[in-house]
Amino acid sequence: MYYLLTLAVFGAIYGTLAIGLNIHWGYTGILDFMYIAFVAVGGYVTALLMLPPSQPAFQEFYVLGLNWPFIPAIIVGGLASSLLAFIMGLLSLNRLRSDYFAIVTVAASLVLYTIAGNDTPLVNGWDGISGIPQPFQSVLNLDYNSYQIFFLGLCIVVLIITFLFSERLRRSPFGRSLRSVREDEMVAQGLGKNVFALRLKAFVIGAFFAGVGGSLLVIYVDAFNPSSWTTGETFFLWAALLLGGSANNWGAMLGALIVPVLFGEITRFLPTSLFPSPQIVDAFRYVAIGVLLILTVRFRPQGIIAERRFRVRKSKLKMLEPALAGASAGGGVHITDADFEGDPGTLPDRDAGAPRGEGPTI
Amino acid sequence: MLHTLLLSFGFGLITASILAIAAVGLSLQFSITNYINFAYGDLLTFGIYAAFVVNQRLGWNIWLGLLVAILATAILAWLINLLILRQFTDRNMSPIMMLVVTLGVSLILQNVILAIFTEQFQSFNLNTGTPLNIGPFLFTPLQLGIIGLAVVTMLAIHALLRYTRLGKAMRAVSDSPELARVSGINTRLIVNAVWLLAGALGGLSGVVLAFNVASFTPTVGFGFLFVIFAAVILGGIGSPYGAIIGAVVVGVTTELSAAFISSEYKDAIAFLILIIVLLIRPQGIFASRGRA
Amino acid sequence: MSSNDMSMSQASSTAREQGASAGTATIDATGKTLLDVRGISKSFGGLRAVDDCSFTVTRGTVTGLIGPNGAGKSTAANLITGFIRVDSGNIHFDGKDIAHLPVHQISRRGLIRTFQITRELEHMTVTENLLAAPYDRLNESFWLGMLGLPVVRKQENANLQRALKLLQDFDLYHLRDEYAGNLSGGQRRLLELARVVMTNPKLLLLDEPFAGINPVLASRLSSYIEQLCQEQGITFLIIEHNLAMVERLCSTVVVMALGKRIAEGTMAQLRDNPAVVDAYLGEG
Repeated sequence: MYYLLTLAVFGAIYGTLAIGLNIHWGYTGILDFMYIAFVAVGGYVTALLMLPPSQPAFQEFYVLGLNWPFIPAIIVGGLASSLLAFIMGLLSLNRLRSDYFAIVTVAASLVLYTIAGNDTPLVNGWDGISGIPQPFQSVLNLDYNSYQIFFLGLCIVVLIITFLFSERLRRSPFGRSLRSVREDEMVAQGLGKNVFALRLKAFVIGAFFAGVGGSLLVIYVDAFNPSSWTTGETFFLWAALLLGGSANNWGAMLGALIVPVLFGEITRFLPTSLFPSPQIVDAFRYVAIGVLLILTVRFRPQGIIAERRFRVRKSKLKMLEPALAGASAGGGVHITDADFEGDPGTLPDRDAGAPRGEGPTI
Repeated sequence: MLHTLLLSFGFGLITASILAIAAVGLSLQFSITNYINFAYGDLLTFGIYAAFVVNQRLGWNIWLGLLVAILATAILAWLINLLILRQFTDRNMSPIMMLVVTLGVSLILQNVILAIFTEQFQSFNLNTGTPLNIGPFLFTPLQLGIIGLAVVTMLAIHALLRYTRLGKAMRAVSDSPELARVSGINTRLIVNAVWLLAGALGGLSGVVLAFNVASFTPTVGFGFLFVIFAAVILGGIGSPYGAIIGAVVVGVTTELSAAFISSEYKDAIAFLILIIVLLIRPQGIFASRGRA
Repeated sequence: MSSNDMSMSQASSTAREQGASAGTATIDATGKTLLDVRGISKSFGGLRAVDDCSFTVTRGTVTGLIGPNGAGKSTAANLITGFIRVDSGNIHFDGKDIAHLPVHQISRRGLIRTFQITRELEHMTVTENLLAAPYDRLNESFWLGMLGLPVVRKQENANLQRALKLLQDFDLYHLRDEYAGNLSGGQRRLLELARVVMTNPKLLLLDEPFAGINPVLASRLSSYIEQLCQEQGITFLIIEHNLAMVERLCSTVVVMALGKRIAEGTMAQLRDNPAVVDAYLGEG
């Protein structure tokens, strides 16, 4: 029972994280390997705001410690991540083709990781932060088990808000512009879109949700140090998103649910003699992720749940009918040159929404 | 003070040597295939452990181990391309997706090695010989050997590119794949060749890297990967000669800076170089194929 | 800019319903210059692709840009639309200097191009391709999109209406929900044209629109172009190798060779121009 609860909480939090990452990758085509750094920054800032002042006497070193309540703290945490994204994006989004950008993000992530670990007075170095007050607990005063359920509810609420926001974004004209940038940057420019500004906005927005998710994560795990956010974690989220379905929020949530569960369960059915130590289990899990990534890109690049197609609804057509004379499907004489490539209902061979126009590979 | 600086400079040359071998391999591969191989660092690791098994477990001579490492890694790289990467390049996947795919390969390779050898620190028990004073520097014979090996390798690559048919064909494909294909060059063959070469260089670089550090684990190659990226991108990705220069700059700079700042930040310095180069002049010193 | 878009499209649809060539210029040789290219040059390595090239495009015309292979037409197109920077020279569009502007700003001023190899937004539907086209605050603004104010919804509907109408005109209506990537070659051409028309352009630069298409489609395409020029006052600059089409459509033709403009005039005039004949014969 408790195990299921933990799984559910992680599922909800990872779902939020995956949806945020989707705004980068699925919507805009930004390959961002420092997403976990945004998660960490959000987590750290929220924690630093919510904690009481640090006590060097007890070997705890960190800044801030302002005893803030939960909601303002998590919002500021998200904004802090956005700020980092803004700076990173401003410096690098305009100049680099996508795979180079990916490398810069990894490098940046590693630099931040090193600083956080070694720069103790800031965030308590490798020992990390713990002892964060539980949200709303002072008001509610629940017993342990009830609080766990409450916290799960809290995470689900955050997930729902994130989901609705992202859906709205996807369906808005802004979302459409992002997609056009993803599909073909040159065409987007040729249609007057400021590609850099659009990418930057998407980068900042996605990072906000990373920060929010990170805050929940930090609070739940209650022991947050740099080793929780190695680049391995980013790849973990990536696998979840790619597998579940890029550019689709249901897919993102599905991936966020499946991959951790898979991780947990996949080793259960194998003989324990194979795994003399927990490191080996971990190693095996990462091999599984690697295989999953390759298979997904090869056979189902769009993920399990593919991107939703924009269809003009009949109701819309009815509303516009007066101006559209003779608006029946198939009206008029067609050009004879019209044979279809592939059958009408399917997606063309999909590159998982990868931006194009960057040269062929051999 | 000056003494420390000179010592650091000397270390820098050694790092540069190790780096140069790897950087040239990565650069050559990129110049032909136009995508970045995220698994390259793990090829280095593979080379190390191949030599390790041969030397420490089978008891063979260390130089034989080096040879085995070179051959084994070359073959592994070639196989990875044949069995996995070709599935995607034949379908004209974008460089981004190739990055994701090679990321998958990296995860697999790294963790398989990890599963077999665990996280234990290992090392080659080498007799490095007594340090010699060469001018203002202090090198052990082993370190001199590493530098020498690097120089020889660079010359060999240079000769390959300049004077052999294969080398010229590689340069042609790197400049313009369409033109090369139309001119009758067998691009498939060239791609296979470059993977063998990149693998060989990676294996070699890995082993000498392992010689130079106190101990290693299965993640050592992946960690080194970004230092290699720094060198390659500084020199201009796709340009093997640029890669050499990049290696020297990165190698010397990181060691010199370690004299001033805590050595934990050494890697971070390399990453910073990488970031700065990408932000200021992404095409590097010798801009070559592939716009950034 | 959004209200301008609306009134323009209303004006043009009214005009069409009345069957009139409503006051928008047809071929007007003494009319104002829309595009003024002066002495542009571009070198790649040692190669001078465009060499001190100058020409103008008059408002309301369909102007052709022809020349043998390697004349520098594509490079000129890229220079004009901002995809490549000029080494030297001036480019004035609608009176303003655009030579050093980024692509999207040039596009926003109404200078839009198509590509030689059609580039559609593959994983978006045909309708979406059109909806994504216009530049207006709505398409770029995050806040406007999220707040969903009534003015936003009104604009969206207006755009959708226009898009569907365009699809009808181009006979692509039955494909409105189809992924652009699934279209045949001919359909993609039409989509590309429809998409750029959607932006309410002042000048459309078409890059070899008739390359490799069958005569029926070519005929259809040229009818559309004529219609768009006469009824909506869109100026065209067409780069083309198909001289028959150029002759049929273009009132003025500019000839480039070896990076320079070597002649300008009607097709009839150019036929008699020895320099032009030389350039074409000389390419073998």
